[in-house]
Amino acid sequence: MSSSTKFLTLKTCDDKKFVLDEAIAVRSQTIKNMVEDDCVSNVIPLPNVNSKTMTKVIEYWKKHSEEGVSKDVLMDFDKAFVKVHHSILHALILAANFLNDKEILDMMCQEVADRIKGKTPEEIRKEFDIKNDFTPEEEEEIRKENAWAFE
Amino acid sequence: MPPDEQRLCLPSPDRLSKLAIHLIDDILNRLSFRDVVRTSTLSKDWQYTCRRIPQVKFDQTVWETPEDLTSPTIGFIPILRSFFRFHIGITLKVTLDIISLKVCPNVDRLIFLLDTNFIQHFVLKLPFSYPRYSLPFFFFYCSALRHLYLMECEILVPSFFQGFNKLISLKLKSVTLSSDTFEGLISNCPLLEDLVLKDIHNPYLMSISAPKLRSFVFRGDIQLIYLENVPLLSNILYEPRDLVLEDEDDFANIFSSVPALECFSWDHFEGCILGDGDYFESVPQEVVDEIPASFSDMTFNHLRTVKFYDVLLEEGEMQLIKVLLAKSPALVKMEIKPRQMETKKSLKLLVEITKFQRASSKAEVVYLVD
Repeated sequence: MSSSTKFLTLKTCDDKKFVLDEAIAVRSQTIKNMVEDDCVSNVIPLPNVNSKTMTKVIEYWKKHSEEGVSKDVLMDFDKAFVKVHHSILHALILAANFLNDKEILDMMCQEVADRIKGKTPEEIRKEFDIKNDFTPEEEEEIRKENAWAFE
Repeated sequence: MPPDEQRLCLPSPDRLSKLAIHLIDDILNRLSFRDVVRTSTLSKDWQYTCRRIPQVKFDQTVWETPEDLTSPTIGFIPILRSFFRFHIGITLKVTLDIISLKVCPNVDRLIFLLDTNFIQHFVLKLPFSYPRYSLPFFFFYCSALRHLYLMECEILVPSFFQGFNKLISLKLKSVTLSSDTFEGLISNCPLLEDLVLKDIHNPYLMSISAPKLRSFVFRGDIQLIYLENVPLLSNILYEPRDLVLEDEDDFANIFSSVPALECFSWDHFEGCILGDGDYFESVPQEVVDEIPASFSDMTFNHLRTVKFYDVLLEEGEMQLIKVLLAKSPALVKMEIKPRQMETKKSLKLLVEITKFQRASSKAEVVYLVD
């Protein structure tokens, strides 16, 4: 690491602080813009991100910033990274959206889509704890209209 | 963590449904129409969201039964009807991606139902068939198109065609069209910035006149392309299909009319067919010392990045590397990733490359080996 390494302090909504190499933190376009516009004081507040989510994000950033990591290793890392409860997927989507990190956002949205693909509505509801607020008659009606999609 | 904070991190049931609409759209965009319809029955929130998504993707999962697959045209019509009953609002993007279907359906009906005043993005990826599916004339009324991707079809431009005046991105893959049609099409897309041509079925020269073009990806015989007027073109990726690089004029042709070239990539990976000769053991031919005459008047003043991937570093490619190093005063980086070969040979070629004269003192040559 060169002697000019700069560190940024990020503060999550639950008041936890993360000290991070600026070169890694600028994977977030939001942080990058702040750095470039010179509006970084001591601490960057991240009001929409909690510490648990930020820990995951930083874990991703660090792995993807390491030098000499093979593509296979990164792919395995990514695969394991998305295997989390849907509440964490949700938190990561919100965090990636706020931090403007297209890579993480893309990966998370793809994971949600992959968990929907080919499943029946019942299976999808179970996967994401979605409450069915249709009456049985309403649901039957919708299914009848698009019967082909449920076969 | 104190208990009240812990509660903060715990999921309330079903957070997903509460995502901002653009994020939900981002997820739904990745689903086929069949999955979107299923998702619409999850709950009332989802029903509303799914029915108004501005894009739709049909893939082969929308065909119900194996019988539909043998006559996919018949199977497709009820699905289209179902879509138009289901959907609310304007459709901006339509994708039909059925490349591994055994039979190519006639998709005139789908194109006929496109809202020609609004459709901005159309992707048609058909399976291989002979004869190719020919785009119906009414497709050329889609005047709002901004992105167009066509694969495995035939293009005949009708005489009334007024141009795709808003088109910025055109990707054609395994498409049949004549040189006249191609040139007519390109010259009627005045805003075109991004052009991809892969495996075009036309054995004749096609010239490209596109004043706003910035990025050009080409796979095929380079002799068949003439870059006539591309003053802003800055990014070229070339994937040679065969080893047809006997003549330095081929290279001269790529570069002679690209004054704004900044990044040039050469990727041998896809489509390259190895002939009978065993390239891995052949000794590199002597590299010509002189810069070929066809390059003598050229300099690439803006060229900053050059990438050669999966190259065999035969004479033609070595020649090109030499010319680019000698003629690019702004060059910052040249990446060379040779195809896997004997270490000794690879090193010999690297030594050769390091001897080449460089017009830019900042030019870094990065030699990537596995």
